[in-house]
Amino acid sequence: MIVGKTRIQLEARLTSPRWLIVAVPMLSVLLASVVGGVFLLLTGHPPLRTYGDLLNNGYTSFYGLTDTLGLATPLICTGMAAAFAFRMNLYNIGQEGQLYLGMVGGAWAGIALAPHLTPFIAVPVVLVTGALFGAAWVLVPALLRARLGTSEIVSTLLLNYVALNLINYFIFGSRGFFRDPSTPFPQGRMIYESARFDPFGTTNTYPTLLVSMFLAVFLFWFVRSSNYGYETSVFADSPSTARYAGMNSTWLTTSVLLVSGSLAGLGGAMYVVGPAGKVDPGILQIGLGYAGIVVAALARYNFVAVILTAILFAGLRVGGSALQASSDPVPIAIAVVLQGAVLLFALGGELFRRNRVVITRVTESHQVIVGEVS
Amino acid sequence: MNSNVWILTFADAISIATTLILASLGAMITERSGVINLGVEGYLLMGAVTGFIVADSTGQLWLALVASIIVGAAMALVHATLTVTLRANQIVSGLAMVIFGTGLSQFIGKPVEGKTRPVIIDKIKFGTLSDLPLVGPIIFGHDPITYLTWLLALSISLYFHRTRPGLILRATGDAPATVDAQGVSVRRVRYLHTVVGGALMGLGGGWYMFARAAAWSQAATTNGIGWIALALVVFASWRPLRAIVGAVLFGFCLQVPFTLQGQQINILPPEIVSMFPYLMTLVVLVALSTPRARRLLGAPKMLGQPFVRDER
Repeated sequence: MIVGKTRIQLEARLTSPRWLIVAVPMLSVLLASVVGGVFLLLTGHPPLRTYGDLLNNGYTSFYGLTDTLGLATPLICTGMAAAFAFRMNLYNIGQEGQLYLGMVGGAWAGIALAPHLTPFIAVPVVLVTGALFGAAWVLVPALLRARLGTSEIVSTLLLNYVALNLINYFIFGSRGFFRDPSTPFPQGRMIYESARFDPFGTTNTYPTLLVSMFLAVFLFWFVRSSNYGYETSVFADSPSTARYAGMNSTWLTTSVLLVSGSLAGLGGAMYVVGPAGKVDPGILQIGLGYAGIVVAALARYNFVAVILTAILFAGLRVGGSALQASSDPVPIAIAVVLQGAVLLFALGGELFRRNRVVITRVTESHQVIVGEVS
Repeated sequence: MNSNVWILTFADAISIATTLILASLGAMITERSGVINLGVEGYLLMGAVTGFIVADSTGQLWLALVASIIVGAAMALVHATLTVTLRANQIVSGLAMVIFGTGLSQFIGKPVEGKTRPVIIDKIKFGTLSDLPLVGPIIFGHDPITYLTWLLALSISLYFHRTRPGLILRATGDAPATVDAQGVSVRRVRYLHTVVGGALMGLGGGWYMFARAAAWSQAATTNGIGWIALALVVFASWRPLRAIVGAVLFGFCLQVPFTLQGQQINILPPEIVSMFPYLMTLVVLVALSTPRARRLLGAPKMLGQPFVRDER
């Protein structure tokens, strides 16, 4: 591209410098705060003070930070779910629905199975059941994608709305298994105490945080070191290469989507084991599934980085709720605006990570001389 | 149960289809140029809330609709900049726009949340024609934008298949390198059609606000219509006139739960009935992905692929 007398060219980098890998997300957060600041200013909230409150309520105060870590726990799961699928160019955007189903599965195990189990294994059973329900919810889109090539983007998303109505049916529309029979007030039936974790001290952080962090580190290692991880990387780069090398694309597609779904389901079960203890329609308001996509994209599908971006985003949410409840109420939607803006900037920044921008001056020397005969 | 109710449901379906048609026409134009825009849901919400706020402060319906169009075009401009110039992942960029649009519409719509709409789009009175049985409510019972949308679908269809710029557009989606070799700027074609597509989605949101929704509420305004519009593009196999047929069909499915509720028919709980439009969309998608159907569809071949000319 030539603008005036300068020529702007992009050259692909072979390796991205380390500092850019950190600088691009940091700069994205900064630029997103500027965009958010403009909207805050327009609606009559002083941006600096609002951000100060947000920081304090979300990250720097003790209870702010522990609330954030508590909320980050399922968010790490949905972030991993998105990262696991997206890194293979499979766009599972149904984490929201898979998370709901994980919550349903976890609650079912916590009510039906937990009384027959020793407390030591009750919690793992609830978590595993949640993961299985999450995987089951993505089974149909996964098979359709692997067998027929049906776009998983739209199919997983449509199922989010089905899952949403399912939760509403369980809690508001029926007097079934998942609803608390002891009160006319529509709320979920509590799972057995033995199937729940106690929080750390007086905080809202639960031991499940350690489980999700451990899983993130494990997956980080797994996709780099295992044969399976290697095959998914090859498939992501070039499906035809993978096929020529004899890799089974149907199996890879199906299994990656199922693992993705189970990770999101696990997040839902962690919510049951931890703060909720029941099928709680309150989770419908948080949008943990959609936020998981942003978390994964900002982490560039790196599982360890997912932990950090999940904590960042959970803090926005926690700080945002505190702002909404303060004397100068700022709508909590500002947290979602910031999430979207961070992702948009990070996407644009990818170009500079992958390419070197070369600017050269165009001189007059390349004039073509016409009609020169020697 | 009388048949009158079902005629009215069908007329309602045609009416609700307007948003679906506008949104899927927008997505279709964008995709024909080789750019996927998954952000439809976000564009509809932003179009709706912007229209509402403008109407609330000025009382001018047409001004409000223009604002909806502008906001849709502006969002699409961001999408085009990210995906065409900066070569970002189109899918993730579209999703980011959904999240951004959802958040921003909720944020700027907070002060007017729950307020009833200040203006509405009136239906055109055709005199006695509107009172005709059957034909009256179905053909002569709509507002100007609905008729405009039908006309728009027809013109876009002619544009795609009967004009030179339309040919270039389709070529850009199928073989950008060829278009580039012809000396036509791929970048310009993609920018232009992405922005026009976004404008149509914005209008779809604005129209929905003033014709269908009673009041602004972020949670209850679009309810996934944007995603259904995306499935509709596949259903219509990237052809504008088929989008009308599909939209009416999908609109009917969206409308049935309300009719059943209104008639006090409780065969199934309302939550279960509400799942039907989404499940039906899924079934349609599956039916369209069989190898036989795929050959007939004709999706733009380079959909989602950024075009990079080897610059030397």
